[in-house]
Amino acid sequence: MTELLEKTGFRNVAPRRFFDSFAGTTKERVAGKYQVRGANFIAYK
Amino acid sequence: MATICPVALDVSRLREEVRRTYSAVARDPTSEFHFHRGPDYAGSRLGYDLSELKSLPGPATAAFAGVGNPFDMERLESGATVIDIGSGAGMDCLLAGRRVGSAGSVIGFDMTDEMLARGRAAAGEAGLEQVRFEKADVQDLPLDGGSVDIVISNGVFNLLPDKAKLFRELYRVVRPGGRLQFADIIVGVELSEKVRNDIDLWTG
Repeated sequence: MTELLEKTGFRNVAPRRFFDSFAGTTKERVAGKYQVRGANFIAYK
Repeated sequence: MATICPVALDVSRLREEVRRTYSAVARDPTSEFHFHRGPDYAGSRLGYDLSELKSLPGPATAAFAGVGNPFDMERLESGATVIDIGSGAGMDCLLAGRRVGSAGSVIGFDMTDEMLARGRAAAGEAGLEQVRFEKADVQDLPLDGGSVDIVISNGVFNLLPDKAKLFRELYRVVRPGGRLQFADIIVGVELSEKVRNDIDLWTG
């Protein structure tokens, strides 16, 4: 995500915070297996 | 962390599956889905102010299905022009509308008619005339270049297989000095080709 945004021209791209968005869902096990999380991102033009 | 995920799946089928899934959420958010919905989830897991969410029209918050919190970064300035990519039932648009005020504007773009209807009804109920919703291909936005101050989005970019095309379009519409502040899902391991092409995992 960061790499692709920077390649497009955005600058100061950074993840800001992470969330266990799938904890407690039926996809929790799959999310854990592939280390899937929610994340906040900011990017400037 | 995987950053580029080449895929060979049926993009039109993926698009239809996404539309079907989120239309179902809009029709009945309390049905069984494999992702969280609603204001309690947003408040307890994503850091939204639950008391503010409770003050919004219920149809907008009940079908919320984001994965993070675009408001937990920079403050949305009064008077700003904001767009929401994949606005769903409109919860984040309503919150953005309150922050930019009547001098600003918020446009929520979505491809799901049922979600757009929820958003429009909620904006009307909330009296937020600066918030509107449009059906659009988010990779070909009906906007002039450099006309947007801030792009928000919540859990939608991962549903689009051609992220490079999306980001080029967002770069076009954002003004110099403008910004993206969004939430999405990230994957911490390199995925096999079989997993990358599994539509059930994309729509999950």
